[in-house]
Amino acid sequence: MSKISTGHFSIEDLENVQITIGKIVGAIEEKVAEEIDMGPTPKPSVSALRDWDHQLLTRYQPVYTPQCDQCCYCTFGKCDLGGNKEGACGINLAAHQSREFLLRVITGAAAHSGHGRHLLHYLIERHGRDHPLDVGPSNLLAPNVQMVTGIKPKTLGDLEAAIEYVEEQLTQLLATVHMGQEGAAIDFESKAMHGGMLDHVGMEISDLAQMSCMGMPKSDPEAPLAEIGMGCIDATKPMLLVIGHNVAGVANMIDYMHENDLSDKIELGGLCCTAIDMIRYQMDKGGQPYAKVVGTLAKELKMIRSGIPDVIVVDEQCVRADVLDEAKRLSIPVITCNEKIMYGLRNRSKDKADNIIEDLVSGKEAGALILDLDLLGEVAPRLVMKVAPLRKEKGIKALPSDEELTALAGKCVHCGACELVCPNNLPIMDAMKACVEGDLTKFESLHDHCVACGRCDQACPKDIPVLDVIEKASQKAISQEKGLIRSGRGQISDPEIRQEGVNLVMGTTPGIIALVGCSNYPEGTKDLYKLAEEMLKRNYIMLTSGCSAMDLGMYKDEDGKTLYERYPAKFLGGNLINVGSCVSNSHITGTAIKVAAIFAQRNITGNYEEIADYIMNRIGAVGVAWGAYSQKAGSIATGCNRLGIPVVVGPHGSKYRRALIGKPYEEEHWKLYDARNGEDLPIPASPEFLLTTVETVEELMPMLAKNCIRPSDNNMGRMIKLTHYIELSQKYLGQMPDDWHRFVRTETDLPLAKREELLKILEKDHGWEIDWKRKKILSGPRMKSDVSAQPTNLKRLCKGEC
Amino acid sequence: MVDTTKNTLMYTTWGTKTAKPVNPNVAAKLISKAKKPLLVAGAEIVDNEQLAQRAIAIGKKGVQIAATGHAITVFHGKGVNAKYINIHALAHYLGDKNWKGLDGQGSYDMIVFLGHKKYYLDQVLSGFKNFSDLKTIAIERHFMQNATLSFGNLRPDVHIEALDEFIENL
Repeated sequence: MSKISTGHFSIEDLENVQITIGKIVGAIEEKVAEEIDMGPTPKPSVSALRDWDHQLLTRYQPVYTPQCDQCCYCTFGKCDLGGNKEGACGINLAAHQSREFLLRVITGAAAHSGHGRHLLHYLIERHGRDHPLDVGPSNLLAPNVQMVTGIKPKTLGDLEAAIEYVEEQLTQLLATVHMGQEGAAIDFESKAMHGGMLDHVGMEISDLAQMSCMGMPKSDPEAPLAEIGMGCIDATKPMLLVIGHNVAGVANMIDYMHENDLSDKIELGGLCCTAIDMIRYQMDKGGQPYAKVVGTLAKELKMIRSGIPDVIVVDEQCVRADVLDEAKRLSIPVITCNEKIMYGLRNRSKDKADNIIEDLVSGKEAGALILDLDLLGEVAPRLVMKVAPLRKEKGIKALPSDEELTALAGKCVHCGACELVCPNNLPIMDAMKACVEGDLTKFESLHDHCVACGRCDQACPKDIPVLDVIEKASQKAISQEKGLIRSGRGQISDPEIRQEGVNLVMGTTPGIIALVGCSNYPEGTKDLYKLAEEMLKRNYIMLTSGCSAMDLGMYKDEDGKTLYERYPAKFLGGNLINVGSCVSNSHITGTAIKVAAIFAQRNITGNYEEIADYIMNRIGAVGVAWGAYSQKAGSIATGCNRLGIPVVVGPHGSKYRRALIGKPYEEEHWKLYDARNGEDLPIPASPEFLLTTVETVEELMPMLAKNCIRPSDNNMGRMIKLTHYIELSQKYLGQMPDDWHRFVRTETDLPLAKREELLKILEKDHGWEIDWKRKKILSGPRMKSDVSAQPTNLKRLCKGEC
Repeated sequence: MVDTTKNTLMYTTWGTKTAKPVNPNVAAKLISKAKKPLLVAGAEIVDNEQLAQRAIAIGKKGVQIAATGHAITVFHGKGVNAKYINIHALAHYLGDKNWKGLDGQGSYDMIVFLGHKKYYLDQVLSGFKNFSDLKTIAIERHFMQNATLSFGNLRPDVHIEALDEFIENL
């Protein structure tokens, strides 16, 4: 008997055939229901949301800061586009910069979606297409997928159509990067936004699939805490180090270790998002992760060069290209298990485990490519148990001795080559001088600022292994790097949205700050902690993920407690929520979409523009990628931007080549329609950017408070937000902000404790008319306070327009 | 007299047009001749007393100051005309001929930079270089290749000496 679940078929010459009609009637009803609530743009094409993008880009204009003034894309070139000249194909520098930005975005989106495709394929093979999606107590399972594609997935198989859409669109976008063709920067920008939107769909697919099949916490505020930091690694045990973003292979290792009683015999540590996801693995029913998180990409080279790992397994994405070379020097076998990284290694996927282990233990081969993840699950733990004693026996020497350290520092001729190539231009020469005199404190201070790229090693004319010197000199600091991170809890659930949605839209919870992205910080990791602590104390909801989630767990207060121990993880003001790994960033945009769907009862299905419009005008959320360096971070930010969520990046983010910044002094750009009657509705200049860089964390904090202000704030909400903006500006910039009065609509918007003082300033400095008897503002504000107003960018949503 | 034009070593190139190395006295004269110069002082001056003093001294010579990052904290109560602004926003506004400047009196014709992270400032300057007619002078410790004119790479003590000479000639 064969089953045909969907599709058309014809049967000729029918004889002795039994036909059972199962769900046809139900399927039709389902299809009809889907069509009724389908919005205008299911699976939008490259141009479908172009009008929305152009509207955003009129207010938030691209600011280009080229990394290179030339174009070397084709054999017409190299073309010098300096001064915005045109190249041989006719493209000018502005359009080329936007094309470059598009390329970054689709590279990032492809990384996440490729990851999603791999996981989906692998998990469908294991669990079947009908395996149900299970993300916790929510009916709205896939907000990004549903909003963008119109698909309401219920099973793993349902996600396939969504990922196919993403893949097809990414191909279309990549095609536009070809020489010539598009000449308008604004349309490359629109395409970049399309790519960013696709990224959030791809990420959501990845995380939904793994959460549903791998026992990860599901909207669980009590998700367990795990150890984090180089200092928490037990170097006396055989150490298996995993690096990357795709947990599928590691999950098999964990299973094998558990089944073979090796879990407490092997020290399993991870770097980057594979580490984040391995502490989520099988944690949905309680339990305590025994795997440890070493840290971010900034710890990658330092961890390898410590010589502690006995075997390294890499999968994909944020993995250094030289892991094999570095590991080889220290006799550490490397296994690659994903087609994205193969390092030229022999494919051993069909070999026997014993043979692979023998070749790697003997040193006959430096590593192996194993694409069969079941085989990998067995080989890696067995290999580490064999290699560790041999490495110990050989006395593999990694970092320099104390004497060698002083001698190496003494070789330095203070030429400054290392400082010039250092991404942060760190004062390495001073630290070398101090080191010679026995003072290691300068290197200890450098250690936290150093992103361990290793460029200093390459530049030194005296062949000093500068990074090794930094690491050796900082051993005391490294040994103290011990913290706790809450395992990623996944989505914000529907009931949580019901509870908190009103506070977000009215502004009484002052905002959501999402700390995401990588570890290329301008002034070390502590800034992130400082920022989170300040905003948590002020009742902002802090969402975090990936590398930022890791670094937040690295610091403790006077009582020895990390932020994760001090602040609960519910979706409420003053809570700190680690949603999970890189791909869990989709839950942050998903949260905003859920507020529109659940709190405001908007139809999200295939209805991107309306939902983005809602989010932009009503949800005070700002993303912060303080140490962003990857293409993925650029892509995530751009996906937020199209949805109306502004993002701040640290100073290194200027190297993304473009920002989107508004001009508050151009009043014509700061008005919307009131959907009740279609009339103009002046709004405050907030968010005043969609993507910008900020120089220091002190500058960042008041800026975040200001950019959480939204037109929908009620008086209480505006008063709370304004209070934080003024207080943070006074605390970190030592002054009242210059523009605070622009956000005042009525006297009840003013901070209660300072109302009289501020009214005086409004009268004296800004010429506003005040009725002092009633302490009321009579004239002055550009905006009215009207909580019933329905702010929208979209004329078609106004009464009488449809 | 300090020679600030010797070491113009770069880590990577941006393109074919790079800054002309400039000596302190020449830089100062150019600024003195400008109709409306602006000093953009970055947050690196906050924990560097030597740099902070020089930035204040430039302000005292009557040059308006755009304090970026949290550099404004250095200028409170020092009797200089300084205003906070985000550097990326400033870069955007400076390229707009309709912008009225920090004081509402019109935009600027010569922009001077001090106290910034090298990699960050060179990005900002790359925007000016390619998309505006603004003249920019970097009086930083590092050679800022995307400026119109820049000091070369200097040792910290030589940099301070150069700044003093620059201030004397303003």
